[in-house]
Amino acid sequence: MMKDRDTRLVSGKGQFVEDMELNDMAHLAFVGSSHAHAKIVHIDAAKALAMSGVITVITGKEILEHTNPLPIQADLKIPGGIWRLAKVYAMATDRARWFGEPVAAVIAEDERTAIKAADLVEVEYEVLPYVLDVKEAMKPDAPLLYEEWGDNKQVHLKFDFGDVNAAFKEADQTIKLIYSEGRASAFPLEGRAFLAQWEKNTEFLTVWGTFQTPFMARHNIAETLGLPEVKVKTIAADIGGAFGNKIHTYKENVVALASMLTGRPVKYIESQREWFVTGPHQRDVSWEGEIAFKKDGQVLGLKATVTHDLGVESTNKGIAATSIFPACCAVANAYHWKGMHIEGYGIVTNKSFYCAYRGYGKDKGIKFIESALDQVAKKLNMKPEEIRFKNFIQPDEFPYKQINNYTYDSGDYPAVLTKAVKMADLNGWREKQKELLVQGRHIGIGMAFTVEPAGVAIPNCQMGGITQARVKMLYDGTFEVYSDRTEIGQGSEKSHAIIVSDIIGCNIADIYVAPVTSDWIGQGPLSSRGAVYCASAVAKAAKILKEKLLRYASIYFEEAPEDIDTGDGKIFLRNDPEKSFTFKEMAHKVHVFPGPRGMGEEILKAHDHLPDVTTSWYSNITAETGSTYTTFCASADIEVVEVDLDTGITKILEHTHVHDAGKVISKQIVDGQIHGGIVQGIGEALTEELVYDENGILLNCSHADYLMPTALDAPDIKIGHLETPSPFTETGSKGMGEAPIIGGKAVVLSAIEDALSPFNVRVNESPVTREKLRNWILEAQKGIGGNAV
Amino acid sequence: MVVPIRLKVNGKEYDLKIEARATLLEVLREQVKIKSVHQGCQEGECGVCTVLLNGEPVYSCLTLAVQADGTEVTTVEGLMKDGELHPLMESFVENYAFQCGYCTPGFVMKAYYLLNKSDDLTEEAIRRGLVGNLCRCTGYVNIVKAIKAAAEKKRSGNWW
Amino acid sequence: MKNFVGSRALPDLIYHCPKDVESALAMLKNIKGECKIIAGCTDFIPAIRRGAWSFGDGLDVIDIKCVDSMKGVSKEGNTIRIGAATLLSDVVDSDIIRKYVPILSDAVDEMASLQVRNTGTIGGNLCTASPAADTAPPLLVLDAAVNVKGLDRDEVVSLYDFFKGPGKTVLGEKDMLTEILVPVMKLDERARFIKLGRRVAATLSVISVAVWAKVKDNTFEGIRLALGAAAPTPIRATKAEEYLAGKEASADVIDEGAKIAADEINPISDVRASESYRRDMAHVLTRKAISACVK
Repeated sequence: MMKDRDTRLVSGKGQFVEDMELNDMAHLAFVGSSHAHAKIVHIDAAKALAMSGVITVITGKEILEHTNPLPIQADLKIPGGIWRLAKVYAMATDRARWFGEPVAAVIAEDERTAIKAADLVEVEYEVLPYVLDVKEAMKPDAPLLYEEWGDNKQVHLKFDFGDVNAAFKEADQTIKLIYSEGRASAFPLEGRAFLAQWEKNTEFLTVWGTFQTPFMARHNIAETLGLPEVKVKTIAADIGGAFGNKIHTYKENVVALASMLTGRPVKYIESQREWFVTGPHQRDVSWEGEIAFKKDGQVLGLKATVTHDLGVESTNKGIAATSIFPACCAVANAYHWKGMHIEGYGIVTNKSFYCAYRGYGKDKGIKFIESALDQVAKKLNMKPEEIRFKNFIQPDEFPYKQINNYTYDSGDYPAVLTKAVKMADLNGWREKQKELLVQGRHIGIGMAFTVEPAGVAIPNCQMGGITQARVKMLYDGTFEVYSDRTEIGQGSEKSHAIIVSDIIGCNIADIYVAPVTSDWIGQGPLSSRGAVYCASAVAKAAKILKEKLLRYASIYFEEAPEDIDTGDGKIFLRNDPEKSFTFKEMAHKVHVFPGPRGMGEEILKAHDHLPDVTTSWYSNITAETGSTYTTFCASADIEVVEVDLDTGITKILEHTHVHDAGKVISKQIVDGQIHGGIVQGIGEALTEELVYDENGILLNCSHADYLMPTALDAPDIKIGHLETPSPFTETGSKGMGEAPIIGGKAVVLSAIEDALSPFNVRVNESPVTREKLRNWILEAQKGIGGNAV
Repeated sequence: MVVPIRLKVNGKEYDLKIEARATLLEVLREQVKIKSVHQGCQEGECGVCTVLLNGEPVYSCLTLAVQADGTEVTTVEGLMKDGELHPLMESFVENYAFQCGYCTPGFVMKAYYLLNKSDDLTEEAIRRGLVGNLCRCTGYVNIVKAIKAAAEKKRSGNWW
Repeated sequence: MKNFVGSRALPDLIYHCPKDVESALAMLKNIKGECKIIAGCTDFIPAIRRGAWSFGDGLDVIDIKCVDSMKGVSKEGNTIRIGAATLLSDVVDSDIIRKYVPILSDAVDEMASLQVRNTGTIGGNLCTASPAADTAPPLLVLDAAVNVKGLDRDEVVSLYDFFKGPGKTVLGEKDMLTEILVPVMKLDERARFIKLGRRVAATLSVISVAVWAKVKDNTFEGIRLALGAAAPTPIRATKAEEYLAGKEASADVIDEGAKIAADEINPISDVRASESYRRDMAHVLTRKAISACVK
């Protein structure tokens, strides 16, 4: 059964939303704003409505009439900080705040008619001044996106950890730091897609879609449309990649409304252009800070401010601004610290909204600090691995209460880095580097160490730590598994099947992991929590079910449960394995012969005769200490690049990645996450950046100009494994999906900087496009001092 | 304008009446009911619509169906034999060469073409051949691995 | 201002499939109103989808791929004849082109992807006339010409005179490109094409350089330079050619020639690259390409 999904997808039997058809289905196309910021004065849909095949047009008028403002998904109470929200609807009502923002929706008999009619909707705008840059947005006379705020600051967080003043006092030296990242996001090859069906007799709304988090989507849609939650169901279709980009709840509200107003099922397949223009954007941060350290390499303190360009406000679409929290805290990474003062800003601008992309917020702090550590190492003439070994949290210190109030579960950072150094043949490459430099070739060797906090649980936020799982044995002896861990390609179905098989002892082929719907309470696979929360809940349910099955078996064997074991699809006596039942036979006994009566009074009076367990799970460490995250996998990336000074071309020669994700459920799945994440990181590092022109129009809204790595841009990747199981999850696994993109990007910049060390160029912004790199070299060659800070 | 075309899709002849403006992608999905070709970018960049046209990989989103009149189109559905996965597809499954699966049929068709064209593919040649098909999930490592493994299968006669 | 609409629909087409050039010309003559010649559609469809080109329903299109006589590569004496409807992949695989003007097959092999090369045509690439068209610089330095046929027209136009501006050529609304004529390279001639994009493959050129050189006794007996994505049209760097002609093929001379080429072009700044980077790379790549021809 596990093979079913694989066989299905490779042979083209996917059930993506685009493959779904319902009787009498209509199609929706959005009309997007032509301006970065404008009042919507008037919408005239007459010409569109006159077109044959057009059913209706929805504008802000219908949105105001039939929907509520989108529910707020996070409302962090920040003493002494700023946290602002805004009232936002599912579609623009009186004002458009970014180029492409949906201002109307055309519903027609077919997709082509809807798209053509969209061009006939006449929108009269009164153009408003706009801001496209955080510095401009923070000026006192800047145009405002939300007048009621008085300025464009959505978020300001402040963190004081330890004693930063003492740390700086004790330090021998400090280095000032500047670091920035360009605007980028996942944009998996399938955009958002929804099929909404309003059944008018029962007044029930079903939405199939690219829901990374069906349960959260159900609540958000119900609230937006003013429906009782019991009357709404969301179902995750096969999803063509998500990476966090499909967590937020946004356009599906309009698709659902369209179905309610027309009484017909309505389908919306987002085009790639719309995906770039109206999709969730990420990264786009700039850091300013100072790191304090002793001359022996011990880091002591950090002062830093990170400013995010959030685009328009989006706590109503997703949980974007909250990401500033881990962006600030994750700077602590793998090291001992004495004091930190970190501030995080979230500024709104007239660009598409921020939301989640693999890494979410913690990626930013980690990339920043890894770059900072390289600077400290250089200043002290230490090797990059030496500075890290010097400051690592040691294996005997776990669980470790990090300065940022996270409790790190387990790890052996020195072992991970040592293994990486060995696998990458770091010393061999350093020799080669010297030889090749003599020949005029510039090789760079980069290093990055990532401790990925996973399994988030934040108060006052929809990502609060709720999860649910169910494992049951059916009449025919097969097993069904339910959870909130939507399959988005990350292997949740396979993973859960392996966990259940390992615990219960049934064959993987006899396990069916159900597609995720809103029936299952939980937050879905975000924050790498699948391996933490969802897997733990499934494991817990499986353990409880196994106990039950042993109890039933003990009645039929007439032996004690402790003398019974399972494995290979059988339940058997430990000291006489020939005496066994298959699970199918077991199920028959439980259901039919001798049936429940054969189980005995004790079990029946406890109402415990059903081989079906539903349970939940919450992280003990979060419960005890308030640590937002539960597991902390560690990884080391070492990369070798060659830089061509003449053109600015960076070629990746080798990439080594060693990681410790605790108990690995499936090596194939974990390695797959590593490959994919690293290549995404490479894209971020070298070529991916969303660019707006001076009018606020997004210039690269297709794959032709938003450049993701092709097979020829991506390197082969060597992977090494270590396991320090987490004491805090049921399986000992740690979430690890985000570490590869974090280290994978940081290491590219580190390697390029190393390659350019003869020129003393500081590689502290990305993407490092060919042009940017070439300019740094030219400036360095002219002796303009480069940009070394 | 409605035009009649004849397409051979996965070995079966289809006489179709299509709009002149219809792309091969639309016709395959909507009239022939081949769902392995996906909608993607519609601009010939992402590769999820890749099919073989007379044995050569093309973007079905950039091919007007009328221009495919009289041609043979092959998709992954056509590589199956009596419900059995083609050895290349087996290799994709065995080597975990896909995660979300959205780009996979396109990659399989491209790989099928590359493996039939040469018995001697180097890693560089494989990666170069895969240009035009994007994948966001796998980082391409296992796709390359699956293609190398499939080449082994082909060498040992496990192929069609 | 136009609404932002994701991916626009193709207009209803009135499809014409001429069997030969005469029929195609007759169609062009008889069709009133807008009429587009289509080939691979690898520019036609994306341009409509992104809203760059827009046509009303009922657009007449003449599918030039129906004209078999416009496909194929042949050699007549010292001229290679390439049908305008020849697929880019057939240009890459052509024994004749690989043997006599390999710079062209090498250049085309780096274009886009296998899928695009299997659909797009060499004539289409020239007629779309993007300043960054990759077939243009090699053909320019090979001194290629094109056969233009129209209602009152049947002439050979040097490619040097073919491009008029971004997306514009000497072709009128009722003209068509039927053939590309390329002089074969002699044994003592060298040519090299280098393109630079923003990633390794499937990337629009940020700058491209083609060089054709005849070097005798370490002197430039003949030299032609062409650049793409460097001006409103693909261009020959005539000032640089003038400088290099007759000079010693030394590293300094080559560098100076490359500098002159970089100065005489007129690149723009856009989302893909800035003007200064394009000039800088024009210098670097021209130097590289000339040097490669001199070895």
